[in-house]
Amino acid sequence: MYEFEYHQPKSLEEAAKLFADADDPQYMAGGQTIIPVMKQRLAMPSDIIDIGAIAELKGITVEGDTLTIGAMTRHSEVAGSAEVRKSIPALSSLADHIGDPAVRNRGTLGGSIANNDPAADYPAALVALGATVHTATREIAAEDFFTAMFETALEEGEMIVKVTFPIPQRAAYEKFPNPASRYATAGVFVARTGDAVHVAVTGAAPCVYRAKDFEQALDNDFSPTALEEITISADGLNSDLHASAEYRANLIGVLARRAVAKAG
Amino acid sequence: MEKYGIGQPVRRKEDVRFLTGKGTYIDDISHDNLAHAVVLRSLHAHAKILKLDTSEAENMPGVLAIVTGKDWVREDFQPMPTKSAVNKKIDGTPLNQPPRHAIAIDRVRYVGEPVALIVAETVSQAQDAAEVVEVDYEELDAVTDQVKALEPGAPQIWDDIEGNFCLDFELGDKQGTDKAFEAADNVVTLELRNQCVTAVPIEPRGAIAGYDKGTGKYFLQNATQNVHANRGTFADVLKIPHEDLHHMAPDVGGGFGAKNSGYPEPSLLLYAAKKIGRPVKWIAERNESFAADTHGRDQASTIELALDKDGMFLGLRTKTVGNIGAYCWTVGPFTPTGGSARTQGGAYYFPAMYYSAIAAFTNTMPLDPYRGAGRPEGSFQIERIVELAARKLGFDPVELRRKNLMPADSLPRKTPMGLDVDSGNFPEVLERTLKMSDRDGFAKRVAESAKKGLRRGFAIAPYLECTGGSPKEFAGVKFAADGTLTLRVGSMSTGMGQETSMPQILAAKLGIDFEKISYVQGNTDATPLGGGHGGSRNMEVGGSAVLQAANEVIVKAKQIAAHLLNSNTDDMKLSEGMFTDVKTGQSVSMEDVVAASFEQSRLPDGMEAGALDTDTIYEREIISCPNGCHSAEVEVDPETGAIHVERMWVVDDFGTIINPMLADGQVMGGIAQGLGQALMEEIIYDEDSGQLVTGSLMDYALPRADSMPKMKMAFYEDAPTAKNPLGVKGSGEAGCCGAPPAIVNAVLDALKQDGVLHIEMPLTSEKVWRAISEAKGS
Repeated sequence: MYEFEYHQPKSLEEAAKLFADADDPQYMAGGQTIIPVMKQRLAMPSDIIDIGAIAELKGITVEGDTLTIGAMTRHSEVAGSAEVRKSIPALSSLADHIGDPAVRNRGTLGGSIANNDPAADYPAALVALGATVHTATREIAAEDFFTAMFETALEEGEMIVKVTFPIPQRAAYEKFPNPASRYATAGVFVARTGDAVHVAVTGAAPCVYRAKDFEQALDNDFSPTALEEITISADGLNSDLHASAEYRANLIGVLARRAVAKAG
Repeated sequence: MEKYGIGQPVRRKEDVRFLTGKGTYIDDISHDNLAHAVVLRSLHAHAKILKLDTSEAENMPGVLAIVTGKDWVREDFQPMPTKSAVNKKIDGTPLNQPPRHAIAIDRVRYVGEPVALIVAETVSQAQDAAEVVEVDYEELDAVTDQVKALEPGAPQIWDDIEGNFCLDFELGDKQGTDKAFEAADNVVTLELRNQCVTAVPIEPRGAIAGYDKGTGKYFLQNATQNVHANRGTFADVLKIPHEDLHHMAPDVGGGFGAKNSGYPEPSLLLYAAKKIGRPVKWIAERNESFAADTHGRDQASTIELALDKDGMFLGLRTKTVGNIGAYCWTVGPFTPTGGSARTQGGAYYFPAMYYSAIAAFTNTMPLDPYRGAGRPEGSFQIERIVELAARKLGFDPVELRRKNLMPADSLPRKTPMGLDVDSGNFPEVLERTLKMSDRDGFAKRVAESAKKGLRRGFAIAPYLECTGGSPKEFAGVKFAADGTLTLRVGSMSTGMGQETSMPQILAAKLGIDFEKISYVQGNTDATPLGGGHGGSRNMEVGGSAVLQAANEVIVKAKQIAAHLLNSNTDDMKLSEGMFTDVKTGQSVSMEDVVAASFEQSRLPDGMEAGALDTDTIYEREIISCPNGCHSAEVEVDPETGAIHVERMWVVDDFGTIINPMLADGQVMGGIAQGLGQALMEEIIYDEDSGQLVTGSLMDYALPRADSMPKMKMAFYEDAPTAKNPLGVKGSGEAGCCGAPPAIVNAVLDALKQDGVLHIEMPLTSEKVWRAISEAKGS
């Protein structure tokens, strides 16, 4: 690790000021990505601005048909929240299967989506549920938020405050974990919200995406059999040590059918 | 007293320390004026070092010293030794053994090979300096696969070793075996790989070295499994007398063979400590562990089994090409040769066997023992070929095993591989395992799995292995006037619980309160010799030394007791801590005898205060043969290829069980590592560049708690060995011998309906999915 200055602001304003004044600052939420990267000396921010003490970034609330989760809410808090379990059980279960207990006790919703790891779980939930990312200055629809591998619509220094999720009629997430990291080798989140069915796939491609042909089929018939005839091309899918593109293509189909069955 | 008797599940005394964060591992230790080191390692699998310039790095803030190959050449430091028990080729000439220096001199031969040691005031400063050490490499072609390394035209790793050939080896009766094959009704052949893995101990390697200018002596605190042998290695490298190096291992967080050997780093640290006159600490990062901890297994084998028409085994022929990496490490060449040969054929009766092997150099981190060191490979080979024979020839896999196991009345027997199998009852152990495995409920469980769309499979895997490691061990008992005593043993625990089980033997034999015994290990000043830990030898050799020490204490204690009671020594009987005169019924307690041993007036003539103190050395004459049987039930998801090992049942014959709780732990840990190898673990190097692909826990998959099956274990205790006075056979490596074949064969049983006959380890979900798809297609 290279040396850096550490700050722990108490407010969004203080954080923004620290960010503006530093040479090469980096916000840190749960630190589950940035700390390992820094330990390997692959990143050398001049200043780490730990946003863990900012009260307005925390908390889970349900109002009407909207679930709101603060950006600094830990995965274990989402997994353990009665509100989340009641309103979007699929999201609760997703959070409960991220990484391992140590990661879940530190990692946060905001940190995960800001990093936009192609194998992270949350991006699938946000896209399938049609969530909205609220930053200190604006609102961004989930689909517009995740732009490319490790890239988002966030501007330099723009901080996520919270995410709002419309509560769906039914939803489910199925994930095939990487045996080493427990990130998603592939993960499929299926949600029916209002009249729309959204199917989001993570882990399989460079960035989370909506499987439109699945969505069309499910629009007509929300059942696993509706997906059986759809072939998934391996073109453009990730291929790595743990899974080839062909295998991922197979997993997407299997996981989508299972997610639909689970969503009921 | 019975609570601490032999055979009692005494809770691990060390756990309070370990589980409350009070353990003392290397990184918990500090010294005044401590400096910190990092190792700059080769980024290339094979390259010439054209230039190594440390001048800029030397001027970086906080830098105290930089050690390179130039220092090694100037000081004429010696290469590290190889102590392979197999050290000659078949033609009788010595193995090809290149010099293994602690630091690269002018060429690097694997990714992770030490190129420089940078010592600074802080780790961060040392890392900063490491970044500006200028190394110009000329890259050379690399080969990381041992079969390819032996092919004509392969990159030459050593200029003077043609064809990357270290040595060849054979054991058994070649002609007799060939004849058996000619006469056989059936021959089944299987080519398989036992993939390269690494131990991943929870505590990475690390050490602190120091030098005292006044006395000219060095100290080394080191996360090692063997302080005595490695002291010799480091001292010989540095050309200093062995006694000038005080080598200590504090609490060690797991070894599994990967902390057996004398590594390069301690010699570099010792040299640096002397040079700067300050103690120097180095702690490996996890990525260094993957690159530069010794690897294990990595054998490519062809196995042939000859059977008659009734399925009786007639002969076994195995040919192996073993990877040993870029150098002969401490015992590296032994594993694929002698280490794998001894237990060929497992627990089966073979009239004829022949084993041959070649050990080849490649551009990988060298290989050394990993939990079992050849026996798990042999066990996997025989159990896979037997399963395949059953499938191909239409025998019931259990029945085929049952009829070919060595019958109980065939023991003692020397196998065609020369293994002296003295005791055991393999058929009975198999039957007990089957009985535990609830075979009657299997069909119902298959149906339940099928309802979930899953395939359920079962397999049983008998195993026979053997112990190893240094045959000699020291045990010393020293009493204090307050009735407490210290037990020093030269074998050592790296977390297995000998701090409990060794005193348990002493407490049971002497009838002394277990709590009064303190335990010392891992210290070259505390014991004159020590074999450390390896080859499941701790209880077999170390425990036997403790028993021998206890018996010697008792001989002397009886004389004191007799003196106190005015009796004859021969009339003294020790039971539960009391010496009783069998004639008069008078008695005196062990405690009182210990107290008397410190009072000259109460001692018989010729004895002096402290008379009970005893130092002894036990020497094993012949290795033991732990054996047993694993069975596994697995569920396979045919749509994804995912495997869930649902249950395992194990019956082990470890001879006498000293502490069943600890023995259970050994079996469970062995199953965890065996399951890891069967399903997910693999060290992978990029074929072209020789780069290590699995260099972190994000890439190298390890089993986690939720990967583990329900496990039920039992011990067969009716056949203690007479090879050592405790009657123990060794438990440490058995789990790694039984679990991989049981799990892999159970998966293949589950895929019987799909026509899948073989999948190479690790059985990743993709490989399983592909095997099903391909079988469907064909």
